[in-house]
Amino acid sequence: MPDALIQTRNLVKRYGDKIAVNDVSFDVHGGEVFGFLGPNGAGKTTTIKMIVGLLQPTTGTVRVAGHDVGAEPLAAKAASGYVPDTPNLYAKLSARELLRFVADLYSLDRGHAARRIDELLRMFDLAAAADDTIDSYSHGMQQKTSLAAALMHDPRVIVLDEPTVGLDPKSARLIKDILRQMADRGSAVMLSTHILEIAERMCDRVGIINRGELIAVGTMDELRAIDSSAQASLEDIFLSLTGGADVAELAQVLQ
Amino acid sequence: MSALADAPGRRAPDGRIPPAVWKLLRLRARITFSGVRRAKGRARIGTVIVGLLLLAFAVFLVVMSWLLLGLVRSPELAQYLTIDSAQVVAAIPVLLLTALFVAILLTSFGGLLSALYLTGDMDFLLATPVPIRAVFVAKLIGTVAPVFGLVSLFSLPVLVGLGLSGGYSPLYYPLLLLTMVALTLAAAGLSSLLVMLVVRVMPPRRAAEILAFLGATIAISLSQAGNVMNALRGDETSVSGSQVSGLLLGASTPWLPLNWAGRGLIELGEGRWLTGLPLVVLTIGLALAVFWLAAATAERWYYTGWAGMRVVARKSRPTRSPQVAAGMDAAPPRLARWLPQPLWGLVWRDVLTLRRDLRNLSQLVTPLILGVVYTLLLFRGDRSSPGGDLAAGDLAEPVRLLLAYSSVGMSLFVGWMLLARLAGSAFSREGKSYWLVKAAPIRTGQLLAAKFLVAYVPALALAMAFTVVIAIVRQMAVAEFVFSLAASALCLAGMAGILLAFGVLSANFTWDDPRRTGGGAMGCLGQVLAMLYVPVAFGCFIGPIALASLLHLPLVDGHLAGLVLGSAVALGSAFVPLRLVRDRVARLDETP
Repeated sequence: MPDALIQTRNLVKRYGDKIAVNDVSFDVHGGEVFGFLGPNGAGKTTTIKMIVGLLQPTTGTVRVAGHDVGAEPLAAKAASGYVPDTPNLYAKLSARELLRFVADLYSLDRGHAARRIDELLRMFDLAAAADDTIDSYSHGMQQKTSLAAALMHDPRVIVLDEPTVGLDPKSARLIKDILRQMADRGSAVMLSTHILEIAERMCDRVGIINRGELIAVGTMDELRAIDSSAQASLEDIFLSLTGGADVAELAQVLQ
Repeated sequence: MSALADAPGRRAPDGRIPPAVWKLLRLRARITFSGVRRAKGRARIGTVIVGLLLLAFAVFLVVMSWLLLGLVRSPELAQYLTIDSAQVVAAIPVLLLTALFVAILLTSFGGLLSALYLTGDMDFLLATPVPIRAVFVAKLIGTVAPVFGLVSLFSLPVLVGLGLSGGYSPLYYPLLLLTMVALTLAAAGLSSLLVMLVVRVMPPRRAAEILAFLGATIAISLSQAGNVMNALRGDETSVSGSQVSGLLLGASTPWLPLNWAGRGLIELGEGRWLTGLPLVVLTIGLALAVFWLAAATAERWYYTGWAGMRVVARKSRPTRSPQVAAGMDAAPPRLARWLPQPLWGLVWRDVLTLRRDLRNLSQLVTPLILGVVYTLLLFRGDRSSPGGDLAAGDLAEPVRLLLAYSSVGMSLFVGWMLLARLAGSAFSREGKSYWLVKAAPIRTGQLLAAKFLVAYVPALALAMAFTVVIAIVRQMAVAEFVFSLAASALCLAGMAGILLAFGVLSANFTWDDPRRTGGGAMGCLGQVLAMLYVPVAFGCFIGPIALASLLHLPLVDGHLAGLVLGSAVALGSAFVPLRLVRDRVARLDETP
């Protein structure tokens, strides 16, 4: 197994009395796609934000590409790309200007950046609207622009929070293919999603977080072993681990 | 019972408009009161105090109007007036009701545009079994209610005072209120039609931006128009007798529907029922008919999609070939070569977003207009050497020097106004997109430097231009001019440091409108400190010069001492506050 490109150790995040993330430790290695699952409010986004340096952990450490995010934030951030759950982008910039801005932030050579921008705009079907301001884009186009921005510096680690929300099937497929290719080239891909079919099909390993605590990590086979059912789907495992198995009964009551 | 009501606990939807409007307005009121109830203790106390102060102000206006209008009506005063006092009294309700109508018509446009197209709850409301007309009426009322309250705060007490001073019939008061409400609704209805027409030709968000820009520009231009006119005319007379007569003549024009209500209310108050009542009833009826027709048309236009054609703004720019685009992207601007790449990227991004969002420009337009006004005033003002007549003997030269340099303080004032907007909200302007910067490998120092440059350079350019104008008008010596330039540049740098540091402390990333980036208590404190800093820092520059003159020492020594002392204070103010908030920058936007 190659070295871990994402390494979290005993991560804790407290907001006053509330513990959002409690003692979370896991590794994501180069060459693998890691799915991060959990119910709403379980602590997925908080954990992801600590990994990409948007939040400082209360205690614990995060290492990205071998760099401690707290001690060497610039090196860690230079190695990672991030796609948030909501694509909040500068509304008055065009996609081309936004990507050029990202290239400047990551100190990319301007000639190389210009070629990369055209490549990404074409790949995400944004070339025709590349010079329109982002406030005129649909949600899907903004999501694709956000993805293009994350891929601009060809990161070794990419972290995506709900990457397929708002995307049409063609774009969703494109994202999945790109992420797979990145993993095949040795990058570490970590994504959170509520669509368990995507996680089941795409991810090499899966981590499940519930109420701030990581309750299971492993491959599909390892998770099935926890559920003691060889035929269990990821949905069955997820619901049994997060206490959601009784939802079917609740749905029955509502009908 | 309909099929919809078959399920247990479900009632058939009520199609009547008034209960639905009431329900929606009650919901809005509940949201407002909930906000007040959940606010912090200090904010709640502040709200109560503001409410009491407004009430006291209204009572004060009633009493003052009562006394003053009683005085105007008195026969003793009438013999000294050149105009008919009865005509003055009769014009008051006409003018105030016209002002109410126009104010509601103009100000509710922005509110309605936002309520109907930008708040995002219309789809939710229209998907519920609530009559669309009720949604529309509730939106209209909800939008104009605050404007109505504000305008009424000034106009209603005066009109009540008018009634008390004239001993009007009790029916005057409820009819006055009813007339004001009817005129408000008519203005709101017409405004909603205007909104529908505007969004037909441009996207609502763009319309809101243009409106904000025009509103700010017109407001500040009007507020300064008097100064400019006086300066150009060269006299200080504010209102002439002929202007008052013109105003009174306009108010008595019988064919203007807006005059009917005012005239009718006066007639009714003074007991002439036969002439007064028809005028008031006609106005109220006409106003309600206008409201109903306008609201129904606007509602239909909204519902049929007629007024929702332009959802997005697509600029049809000529497509560039990939080679051309790549070439343009690859060519770094000349200035960029002197700055680290991330710093340049941040500066350029800020320049683009500031320039393109008219709502940002509307905030920046105030200092520019004031700058132009002061320049005009300076050109029209006294060009003689300042301080000539103020002091004699030993004090004459120090005072002359102090006054000569203090005129440069005006350029600092204009620079301060621009800086307050650019530096104070430098971080808040990032808004919800701040994650992009925070997740990138940028040094805190570079981020602060970029924000400093974006705020400082335009303020410096404006202050420099103003200093040049002052130097020309005041016929400054070259040495004095160079010293003034250096002093204002350094003073502004210190101010930028203070304002930027407080901008970090008060950063707010959750706004939807860039005009709402204000920084609360910390932002205000920053503005106050920056204001206190200016005389201190500038005093450090020019104080030693005056002292040298007073002690008969060489003025060069005074200038040098001023430059050293002032620079130390200014540069210290530029760097120390930013150093103190450096660690805070790394933790910005970390609230859950």
